[in-house]
Amino acid sequence: MSIFTAALQVTSSDLTTYLYIAFFGLLFIVQFAFGTRLQSYFAINEISRGLNKLRVMKDKARKEAIDYLINVGKAAADPTQRVDQFLDYVTIMPVDIDPSGLVGKIDHVVTTNNDRVRSEVGALLNQSNPVTISISENLLEVATSLNQIHKIVRHYYLLGKKTNSYFTLVQLQMLMPMIIQEADALLNATDSFRMGQPVGDGIGPVVVSKLMAGKEKRVIAKDTVMAVTEYKGRKLYVLKADGPMAYVGQPGMAIQKIIGEMGVKPSAIVMIDAALKLEGEKTGEIAEGVGAAIGGIGVEKYQIEEAATKVKVPLYAILVKQSILEAITVMRKEIAEAAEKVGEVLNRVIEEKTKEGDEIVVAGIGNTLGVAQ
Amino acid sequence: MMSSVPGADKKSKLLVYTIEECPVCGQKTKRAFSVGDYVTKESSKCPKCSNSTRVSLVYAESTKQSG
Repeated sequence: MSIFTAALQVTSSDLTTYLYIAFFGLLFIVQFAFGTRLQSYFAINEISRGLNKLRVMKDKARKEAIDYLINVGKAAADPTQRVDQFLDYVTIMPVDIDPSGLVGKIDHVVTTNNDRVRSEVGALLNQSNPVTISISENLLEVATSLNQIHKIVRHYYLLGKKTNSYFTLVQLQMLMPMIIQEADALLNATDSFRMGQPVGDGIGPVVVSKLMAGKEKRVIAKDTVMAVTEYKGRKLYVLKADGPMAYVGQPGMAIQKIIGEMGVKPSAIVMIDAALKLEGEKTGEIAEGVGAAIGGIGVEKYQIEEAATKVKVPLYAILVKQSILEAITVMRKEIAEAAEKVGEVLNRVIEEKTKEGDEIVVAGIGNTLGVAQ
Repeated sequence: MMSSVPGADKKSKLLVYTIEECPVCGQKTKRAFSVGDYVTKESSKCPKCSNSTRVSLVYAESTKQSG
């Protein structure tokens, strides 16, 4: 009996072992032969889900832009068709194989585009309120960006599927979380724009608006205003985009004019701007540095660096840290409360780096929606 | 290789406030934002000295935070 049981046990144990070996062997063969196909399948599913989210987001942004044009802008006719044309509107960047004079060409193309958009939005609306027009421009810009993101992701998704390209699909799959995050930030921005609320990026204009309050302002460049004030015996040329419209202005052109046309010989140029924080950094943290603190396509930065280098003026930067979401949505308390501290830092920089009788340019950089002067 | 597409961030509700500041006595008052408010806009009378106040800040606070 005991011999029979032992024999049975051996047989059962062997069978289990064989089954295990067969199972793992099969798994190994499947993984070896179809591993990439399986991964591609998972990637396709995940990208497809993300793509659906992007489609919903771009449709929502488009609808919000149309609703704003109709309800607030009092568009004379149904703007749907015109908005759809805007979404596919392209700006062709100049050729860069001969980089000489490239910045001027980019500036020209971008300015032409901005002028065209503004005039067409103005014509679409049945009113001339500059705040409404600027908000409409920004809403259309958000809808265009989301439309573009959706199109590009869809392109690579379909291309990856069509060519069965594992690497195209996996790269896209890995990028999807960041793409969705950026798209979500853009969509959230529409709420702040519609309400005309200052955004996180407007911290520079907020600080500078306090220096301009009660002073005479003049238009120094397109959508950009300047005022002259004094601080402890120094003459300050303070500039920002013209608020409360959703403008970023042309601070580069403005600084070139102050130094060139007005003949001002500044001892320092201080720029206050929002800066993207790294993960782990606190919102509203203030950083100091040197250099032109300005984002964008690079035209303004180039103009400011050119102007400063020509007359050998040091460029000082005061930055307020925030995430991309915080920069383009309604200003958070932590950022707003940094304005006072930035003012103190600005005063210290002016006192430390210049002396009485000096002239200083102070520029508040960023979207000035909801921030007048 | 596996990653996940995040849903839209779970949004904590943001309440937007307007801060009015009296340029004479420095008194600050906080009220809910209303459309048309912007920084430097002349606003209501100061509850302390009856001078016109100006909007000094507009910001959002998360409902999760106290105050």
